[in-house]
Amino acid sequence: MVNFTVDQIRNIMDNKRNIRNMSVIAHVDHGKSTLTDSLVSKAGIIASAKAGETRFTDTRKDEQERCITIKSTAISLFYELEKDDMKYIKQEFDPENTHFLINLIDSPGHVDFSSEVTAALRVTDGALVVVDCVSGVCVQTETVLRQAIAERIRPVLFMNKMDLALLTLQLEAEDLYQTFQRIIENVNVIVGTYGEDDGPMGNIQVDPKNGTVGFGSGLHGWAFTLKDFAKMYVGKFKIDEASLMKRLWGNQFYNNKDKKWYKEQTEGSVRGFTNYILKPIYEIFNTCMTKSKEDAVTLVEKLGVKLTAEEKESEGKPLLKTVMRKWLPAGDAMLQMIVIHLPSPVTAQKYRAELLYEGPFDDECCTAIKACDPKGPLMMYISKMVPTSDKGRFYAFGRVFSGIVATGQKVRIMGPNYLPGKKEDLYEKTIQRTILMMGRYTESIEDVPCGNICGLVGVDQFLVKTGTISTHKDAHNMRVMKFSVSPVVRVAVECKNPSELPKLVEGLKRLAKSDPMVQCIIEESGEHIIAGAGELHLEICLKDLEEDHAGIPIKVSEPVVSYRETVSAESEIMCLAKSPNKHNRLFMKAAPLPEGCAEAIDKGDVAPRQEVKERARFLSEKFDFDVTEARKIWCFGPEGTGPNLLIDCTKAVQYLNEIKDSVVAGFQWATKEGVLCEENMRGCRFNLYDVTLHADAIHRGGGQIIPTARRVLYAAALTAEPRLLEPVYLVEIQCPDQAVGGIFGVLNRRRGVVFDNQQIGNTPQITVKAHMPVNESFGFTADLRSNTGGQAFPQCVFDHWQILPGDPKDPATKPGQIVIASRKRKGLKEGIPPLDNFLDKL
Amino acid sequence: MSCIDLDQNHFGLGLGDAKDITVKGLEIVRRAKRVYLEAYTSILTVGKEALEAYYGRKVILADREMVEQASDELMADSDIEDIAFLVVGDPLGATTHTDLILRATEKGIPYHVIHNASIINAIGCCGLQLYNYGEVVSIVFWSDDWKPESFYDKILTNKKRGLHTLCLLDIKMKEQTIENLMKGRPVFEPPRFLSASLAAQQLLEIIRNRKEKCSSALTADSICVAVARVGSQDQKIVAATLEEMSTTDMGTPLHSLVIPGDMHPLERQMLLLFAESEKIKSVLSTEDTS
Repeated sequence: MVNFTVDQIRNIMDNKRNIRNMSVIAHVDHGKSTLTDSLVSKAGIIASAKAGETRFTDTRKDEQERCITIKSTAISLFYELEKDDMKYIKQEFDPENTHFLINLIDSPGHVDFSSEVTAALRVTDGALVVVDCVSGVCVQTETVLRQAIAERIRPVLFMNKMDLALLTLQLEAEDLYQTFQRIIENVNVIVGTYGEDDGPMGNIQVDPKNGTVGFGSGLHGWAFTLKDFAKMYVGKFKIDEASLMKRLWGNQFYNNKDKKWYKEQTEGSVRGFTNYILKPIYEIFNTCMTKSKEDAVTLVEKLGVKLTAEEKESEGKPLLKTVMRKWLPAGDAMLQMIVIHLPSPVTAQKYRAELLYEGPFDDECCTAIKACDPKGPLMMYISKMVPTSDKGRFYAFGRVFSGIVATGQKVRIMGPNYLPGKKEDLYEKTIQRTILMMGRYTESIEDVPCGNICGLVGVDQFLVKTGTISTHKDAHNMRVMKFSVSPVVRVAVECKNPSELPKLVEGLKRLAKSDPMVQCIIEESGEHIIAGAGELHLEICLKDLEEDHAGIPIKVSEPVVSYRETVSAESEIMCLAKSPNKHNRLFMKAAPLPEGCAEAIDKGDVAPRQEVKERARFLSEKFDFDVTEARKIWCFGPEGTGPNLLIDCTKAVQYLNEIKDSVVAGFQWATKEGVLCEENMRGCRFNLYDVTLHADAIHRGGGQIIPTARRVLYAAALTAEPRLLEPVYLVEIQCPDQAVGGIFGVLNRRRGVVFDNQQIGNTPQITVKAHMPVNESFGFTADLRSNTGGQAFPQCVFDHWQILPGDPKDPATKPGQIVIASRKRKGLKEGIPPLDNFLDKL
Repeated sequence: MSCIDLDQNHFGLGLGDAKDITVKGLEIVRRAKRVYLEAYTSILTVGKEALEAYYGRKVILADREMVEQASDELMADSDIEDIAFLVVGDPLGATTHTDLILRATEKGIPYHVIHNASIINAIGCCGLQLYNYGEVVSIVFWSDDWKPESFYDKILTNKKRGLHTLCLLDIKMKEQTIENLMKGRPVFEPPRFLSASLAAQQLLEIIRNRKEKCSSALTADSICVAVARVGSQDQKIVAATLEEMSTTDMGTPLHSLVIPGDMHPLERQMLLLFAESEKIKSVLSTEDTS
């Protein structure tokens, strides 16, 4: 631990080239928080001495109890790099200043809390990807890594749980090398798939030879990169450190007789990595665990590690831990890797600015962000709200991208709906206090310059979840975050005591603020709905609501999933709707989008703001769209970005552009609240074929056209074989092979479809991958445990939407029943409205 | 006011106050079972109470929703009883209630239309001859993202042929915001009426955007005539350039705007009566001599 005063910290903050903002990301249970602990205990900057506590970044009681991270937590670290090592830094650096400030965010690994990861990634520039070398790359590893790359976050890799591989699995050195090699390949495949070729970040593949991969054990507190070993062997091989690193990985074999390196394994030669790195480690393990204490102590002293008298007394695992920790301290290796390979704000903001900022790339704000200019206008992004000890109030947590944020400063607080030049979602207020957030503790600080992460007091009541803070009057918003998961599981809540309703409403507001993704909705029927990413997420949200935010006993309904409405054929007739004054007529048909098209829209490959011709070419090449039609996409919906298209297929209609906005508004409305049960629509294209308009503009205003557009859209959907889509999870389960039978049984009962079933390396562990409807997932974890003797642990992540077979218009079918239940819950009229309501006759 | 009598009569109420109704119309109103007043396409300068007092009858306000969507209620029992449907102006004038007539016919309900004055004929008051008008246009309220310009093209088409254009100005009696419309909340915005000055400003903006070079195009100096509250006691008529009009306060609604085409000397003389600024006076008289 490093003891600093706030003034000292403030001084380091000004050296923006010596700052590293990074997140630790990984699959659940791969050991992020434990690894973070070892970094914190080495270099954590905290004002009061709280050293020695475990899971430092798990600040909540339930986090400590459950041993999973729920909320992401920031912590600052201090590291002094050796002067000799400064040459490894490939970016702009200050050769005189070897003091580094590392702002680290520990994020949750469970998929249900991915939104926390998204929020963490937004404010950082680099990511330490932790992979359990026994389980390998898992589904959540891929999800978070993909997100990191999309946000232009540079990754470095840490291969965790080596102790487990050595002690429990007893892998041979060569097998272990192959395991590492495979994991690194897997990671690089993901990086290659989602990264931009020749992107502005340059090569972001990880490679042990460059020192971007660390190995070790977070639990035992030791770690190394090839650089550490290269340094030890420099004397032996008489070549410089950087060249030696290249010999210590991959197909590099050393022949001790002729003292030469070969590219292929020949008689008498040994692989660099196994011989010079793994062998000594294996030896220590063996000696400490199986041989006598004296042998161990002798060996250890040969390595130059000094033990205290007391430590010499221990044996077995404790001794091993002490030795390894002293020989290869995790903190040093990791911090060195972070400082050398992860970008500083100066480096990162140059290429991240265009992804972060919504406005023009050459305006004053964007220029200041690119340059990370403390003298520029203030631009700060608030990525999440952190509850304070004062109930109902929050710290706004975020990153300063340009300028300086200060206590008492007057700023513009812009919510996600703010548009430059308008007044909506905009507040001009004073910042009450700027604070440093360090794990469980906060410290007041006068001001914070760009490139740093901090908290603000007094802006929480002006923002719902996220927002932009600026001092520049023409500043545009920073782009909102895109979450990888969607809130597909929902429950209705009510208070046990009706008189406490106001408390519940207030509690729901607070809950919505405290979690980046949870949605709290009030249905028309007056029901309060909470929607989350999965069962665990909801469980935590409900617990927080009951114990914290509302503080009242609540009743919770059975969870239900949200559905989407779609169509499965082209409308069988040309649908017509007349405006209320009967002077305007719209003719339309609906049809399903080609397969994969809705997903392409989700991913942003097809997006509203794309260049029209380019988008049309893409659609015609990839999805067989007619090019002329593809050029006349009026809009996406719902919310202007959703996976439904409105296409103008009319020929020569005069004044069509004057009703375009009204038709678009009707389309947004209809796609947001579909005709079946007012769920969002998905994967539909609506073609506008003809329009008859009144000669005079006053008779074709929004009041006439918007409801008409909605009616014709509904008629088109109803005549195009409407269907319901249900969300489907990708389930990944790891378990010993004898438990596989139990897993299959449970999956079968729950409409699960297994599509992959593989052994992990040479271990007796099996990974099963399956698709399973979210609707069937309630109680799945418990069911699985009881059927496998507690040996299987699933990870469910939302994967795709799938048509629920059956006609929703027929109340006897499953989708029909869902429609009925959903309409009832929402307080809508019973039964899908008949077609006559929407379809007019000529 | 005019009115449609459903077996029903539609009938025009005339433009001004309660007494503008025709004698025939008044007889029907007094006789009818129910009397509706259509209250969204225009407004009377007097309130519903004044009408009730004068007719000695209860008058039911019919808003857009009722007329366009709940016509069954409107026409209930009209096969056996008289129902009067009062419209400000003429029932088939500026506001076309043809749809109501079609629906009544469909149901086999006989109807009578009793005509009355409408802005379409009363605009004669400004001195421009009714014979020389071209297509009537409406100028609508612009919003931030909806700025239709089609009326401008129609004005130009009229002007090219030497015809005057009567521009009716938008009225928003009972509009919902899109948000309220979507939520189905019956929350309505306060009534708004497009004023002659705002209409002139919108026209000027189109002129600036288009920068058309053709000789018949409008310019900031083009003559226009604004009329306000035609048919009532405090009716007001002003002739001015578009530029001047954009700052002229015509008082309370309703307003209409006329863009003259080619003018007969007599028409010019009439407009001179309403010219306020020296500039427009000189324009009107100099062009006269040429």
